[in-house]
Amino acid sequence: MKLATIGVGNAGSKIIDRMLEFEQQTGRNLCRHVMVINSARTDLAKPDYVPEERRILIGDTHQKAKGHGVGGDVEVGAEVAKHDIDEIRRAFDDVEIHEVDAILVAAGLGGGTGSGAGPVVIDELQKMYDEPVYGLGILPGEYEGGRPALNAARSLQSFVMKVDNFMAFDNDAWRSRGQTIEEGYEQMNRELAIRIVTLLAAGEIDETDVAENAMDSSDIMRTLDTDGVSSIGYASTPIKNGGDGLLDKFRDAEGPVDEATDAAKIKGLVRRAVNSRLTLPCEVSSADRALIVFSGPSELISRKGIESARQWLEDEADTVDILAGDDPRPNADELAAVVLLSNVTETPRIKEIQSQAVDAQDKIEELDAVREEEINDLITDDDDKLDPVV
Amino acid sequence: MKLALVGVGSAGARIVDRILELEVESGRNISNGNALVFDTAQAAFADLEYVPEENRAVFGDIYPRVEANGEDGTDGDPDLGVEVAREDIHELRRAFDVLEFTDVDATLLVAGLGGGTGGGAGAVLLEELQSVDEKPVYALGVLPTDAESDQAALNAARSLQSFVTIADNTICFDNEAWRPSIRASESSTESPGSTDATRTDTTEADGSDGDADDGDATETNEDAAAAEEFEYDEDGPTAAAVERERVAAERYDELNRVAARRVLSLLGAGELESMTIAENRADASDIVRTLDTGGVSTIGQATLGLDRDTGGSWLPSWLPDRILEWFGGGDTEPEPTDAAKVKDLVRRAVDSRLTLPCGISSADRTLIVLSGPPSAVSRKGFESARHWLELEADTVEVLAGDEPRPNASQLTATVVLSNVTSVDRIDELQKRAVDAIEDLESTHEETKAAAEDEFIW
Repeated sequence: MKLATIGVGNAGSKIIDRMLEFEQQTGRNLCRHVMVINSARTDLAKPDYVPEERRILIGDTHQKAKGHGVGGDVEVGAEVAKHDIDEIRRAFDDVEIHEVDAILVAAGLGGGTGSGAGPVVIDELQKMYDEPVYGLGILPGEYEGGRPALNAARSLQSFVMKVDNFMAFDNDAWRSRGQTIEEGYEQMNRELAIRIVTLLAAGEIDETDVAENAMDSSDIMRTLDTDGVSSIGYASTPIKNGGDGLLDKFRDAEGPVDEATDAAKIKGLVRRAVNSRLTLPCEVSSADRALIVFSGPSELISRKGIESARQWLEDEADTVDILAGDDPRPNADELAAVVLLSNVTETPRIKEIQSQAVDAQDKIEELDAVREEEINDLITDDDDKLDPVV
Repeated sequence: MKLALVGVGSAGARIVDRILELEVESGRNISNGNALVFDTAQAAFADLEYVPEENRAVFGDIYPRVEANGEDGTDGDPDLGVEVAREDIHELRRAFDVLEFTDVDATLLVAGLGGGTGGGAGAVLLEELQSVDEKPVYALGVLPTDAESDQAALNAARSLQSFVTIADNTICFDNEAWRPSIRASESSTESPGSTDATRTDTTEADGSDGDADDGDATETNEDAAAAEEFEYDEDGPTAAAVERERVAAERYDELNRVAARRVLSLLGAGELESMTIAENRADASDIVRTLDTGGVSTIGQATLGLDRDTGGSWLPSWLPDRILEWFGGGDTEPEPTDAAKVKDLVRRAVDSRLTLPCGISSADRTLIVLSGPPSAVSRKGFESARHWLELEADTVEVLAGDEPRPNASQLTATVVLSNVTSVDRIDELQKRAVDAIEDLESTHEETKAAAEDEFIW
């Protein structure tokens, strides 16, 4: 697949940057067009792989932003994007849209810029192009607090309504103890980039080394064409001669490998992909459609293996709408399986965010309602005997 | 965030002077030289070292009743302060010409609320600053100690009403809560700027609202004898009273430094000259949003020494010996990135002495700024600290940002609690102010009409 990728806000921009890094490291060419949009000048300086001229500052003339971000306020985020929509539209002008299959918009949903400006940008893209627009959204963790949860719960509605598919990443599922604020979300962003690039880059090299089971872009687009929320699973195994890799013996073997063992291993890899951490933990059986991409040297991916893996997932996900194929990477040093579960509807984390959001909204309304009165109570004496100086 | 600093009255001017000094010392640049001080008497500027001559404006001094007070300016009469500020309003506006309002994100007006010029003219200046443009105008208001006169308490209670009504947010610094620390620092060391760090480090985290308040009350009693020295002469401006005031002002310098340091840590977050890029910077917009509630705010701060395994030489040499000992001798746990420690630091910042002690749970919005080497801060710790504050302050509006200082040997957490509404100290001031009015009414019943024209206290 060939993509135009747009990162909105700090988290979205970093995801795009990590995607570019990963495709560069692995010789892929998925992101044909790149852009990052942010309301904070300092955050725009962060990407390592996004060219300077592809970074757009919005809201620098807006009273509440002025190039300093939107203070986590989703309303301001949406407002500045609407205000600068002409500038954003102009930046799309040089997108050679016929060169790409789809547009991917990445954003963090807990902050103000990604969650607020993201849907505005998507609206505009949907108006301008016929190509599908996919969302890649980061859900805030519980400990990020009530305000991010409220932003995310509201923004999720807009995203899912406006995009053709919304691939979600749950920060909570990926939190780990040792991380410092310096590393921040880097490791998580890398993990997400590996998954999204491995999935969407399948079929980009249609013309070379066409394997019999090769996945192509239309398969991926078909699976994503559910309008819902998706989750991605991933597992990989190294291929090293003389190493400890799962598939070493395939390389070393002289004669034809035992087909049954091969199939079992391929299936094992897929099972691992689904049972390990999904980008959004969910009930696998609630998936509407699913897709399996095997990425690696095609001689290691047997037809039988693919078929048995597909069969297993069909039972697991309780849907017959499952596509499976490979993405031949002759020089890859590992074999990876990535599983897309499209339109999953049972996701405990989204429920939790919504309930946290409702509580947060109640709390905010409560505070808003008494604010003036409480300030007045504080600054005046009980009997109102004191007069202000002016 | 970039700020225009406006100091009004002698306390306001001195604190602005201290902020400018700290900007140089800390490498934080918030004002870009956009600083202006006002007073009704030239004498108030005598001690200023960092505010340039051309950024000092005297007003109202030729007004007969001000002129009569000589070096005392409005002499603690806020109504006179208001009157002369209004009279000289064009002059005040002209003085604003030295400030580049287009280059800043907000204006901070600094004033002692107990004074006539700070509390009275300060309110008028707030109105003027609000009319300059749409940008927020914040106030840093210093509340008088218990040892100061009843009139100072009355002035503060009255001007606080005006400040809070006019300013977008009023950060309060309670001199009473901080007074014991001046004595502590004087008795041990002359080192400037030591108070803040010492205090926040040694304060016990005891976890419940208002404890700082109670603790200070006890210290205040022990301090009763010394308090005498702070008292104003209520019979009028005698030469002795003027001299005493000057001595007190010198003592207040220590408090002014603390106030300046806190304000600079909060509002200057992210304005370090040698900044590396923050993972999650505390942006000006975050600060504006937090303070957007209006009302009264308070700032807490705590510091944690980081063990860098290099003996004790890693501490910056400007730190006073007491601090060096404190860190060098005690804090040698090997795990600086431990999540529990980061959480504990933020907790200490809130539970330690706030610039204005208050009921934490009455806060409306809060912001945490964590300043230090980013590699030493556990993200999980930072998140759980934020979560803790969300529960403690009983609000979901908890913003948090970091300020990377890769080579710093300590980690500092600064927390602002915006729009706190449960503040015993303000209730006390109001009670004292009401008593003062009642005293006045009973003793001067017959001269009440005259009192409107002239203060006879």
